[in-house]
Amino acid sequence: MRETTLTSSTSTLVHTTLPSTYQKETLGGRTEGGRSEGKGRIFSPVIGSTVLSRTVEPLEYYRRFLKENCRPDGRELGEFRTTTVNVGSIGTADGSSLVKLGNTTVICGIKAEFGAPPTDAPDKGYVVPNVDLSPLCSWRFRSGPPGEEAQVASQFIADVIENSQIIQKEDLCISSGKLAWVLYCDLICLNHDGNILDACTFALLAALKNVQLPEVTINEETALAEVNLKKKSYLNIRTHPVATSFAVFDDTLLIVDPTEEEEHLATGTLTVVMDEEGKLCCLHKPGTHFPSVSVLNM
Amino acid sequence: MAGLELLSDQGYRVDGRRAGELRKIQARMGVFAQADGSAYIEQGNTKALAVVYGPHEIRGSRARALPDRALVNCQYSSATFSTGERKRRPHGDRKSCEMGLHLRQTFEAAILTQLHPRSQIDIYVQVLQADGGTYAACVNAATLAVLDAGIPMRDFVCACSAGFVDGTALADLSHVEEAAGGPQLALALLPASGQIALLEMDARLHEDHLEQVLEAAARASRDVHTVLDRVVRQHVQEASVLLGD
Repeated sequence: MRETTLTSSTSTLVHTTLPSTYQKETLGGRTEGGRSEGKGRIFSPVIGSTVLSRTVEPLEYYRRFLKENCRPDGRELGEFRTTTVNVGSIGTADGSSLVKLGNTTVICGIKAEFGAPPTDAPDKGYVVPNVDLSPLCSWRFRSGPPGEEAQVASQFIADVIENSQIIQKEDLCISSGKLAWVLYCDLICLNHDGNILDACTFALLAALKNVQLPEVTINEETALAEVNLKKKSYLNIRTHPVATSFAVFDDTLLIVDPTEEEEHLATGTLTVVMDEEGKLCCLHKPGTHFPSVSVLNM
Repeated sequence: MAGLELLSDQGYRVDGRRAGELRKIQARMGVFAQADGSAYIEQGNTKALAVVYGPHEIRGSRARALPDRALVNCQYSSATFSTGERKRRPHGDRKSCEMGLHLRQTFEAAILTQLHPRSQIDIYVQVLQADGGTYAACVNAATLAVLDAGIPMRDFVCACSAGFVDGTALADLSHVEEAAGGPQLALALLPASGQIALLEMDARLHEDHLEQVLEAAARASRDVHTVLDRVVRQHVQEASVLLGD
């Protein structure tokens, strides 16, 4: 990313970085760091209007593009970023996938373990998702216990699994009331450039399709489980839910697959999860107001 | 022992390597555009990712700022699916804290911290798959990431592990060899000067054998340096082609 340096008449050097971090910097004062010295610096005149706008007035800069029905990175309003998927790269996990949505990178690893089925549903196994947003992926996150965004994302994924019935929980049961499979799905965000929920859903789906569970038989005499590692079978995936996130600009405009910058500037976000039959599985709209239902119908 | 022969009579190890042979190393720099520096390395089946932010202003309490040097902050995190058995806590447990501390000590020795007083350099390492030699893979990945971020260092920091079986020193241990319970040595070396940044040894080893094991680790680290050097040069060449120089 570029680093822009502006020199004012009182010759104070100001380092500015992308809007997502600029409220941490104080404009007009001396700040250390910003981006490292290794990257090239672009000296631009104070008058340079486009450069000035992006860092000082990002919303105006965006509005100029939105008026032409496109975005600064060249995409249309309804266009997704380039998506790449890589499945089965982690050998120690029972199922894994790596998804890149533009720059946003999420890796999902699934480990299957034995567990006792819950008492209120003795013939069902369960799936435990967990989204990990660490300081590795972005400036904004601090190390320590999972923050708000990570917990919301984890709950969202749990809701998607529950509502879309991606796998039948009865398939995970080995012996009713005694033994069932527990699938621990760990989603680690490696690079956060917006639209985490879509990437996580996609990574989860790809990893679940990649999971191979060994055959387990309960020995009648010893009542112990015997695992046959040579016979492995894939999970039965019933539906394929796909999440689509939108960012709302100025209460009227919906843009698809927002980057981190766009998420930050938007007045609200909306995520819709649908499966291949066109059935709505989940709708996630956190906070802010919507002027009317017509925006949703768009 | 489970009857697993770590070193056969012909001198082959479990995965078919010779005693002093390294696993295949593949590395890439600049994998993420968001961070200041990033790198990904695969040493055999061990996969590690390193991300560097900095030098930037101290986060949190200003009181921690050092007046003459930069603060190096390292965090090690191992994915829950990285090992055979699922790991309960990816970070915050004792092993992760210890690894983070080791990494910090290693890089404080190598980075020219005097050039950036009162600032902070963050190094985050994530292990995606652990198959032995995780410390070494983390150090190698972090070196590439620090270079990608343009932070000046004294020299490369190259690390490798070594063990001792049947009178022979083995270099670059895999998980099977580590789990067998023999002595393990982890060495982080600055290759040009031959200075040791960090040396750690577990289990019992007779002092007569120490020199042999240390020599094997040092030789392996220099081999790692050759590979990393090639990766950096290739990356710079690709970058200069894109810049049109």
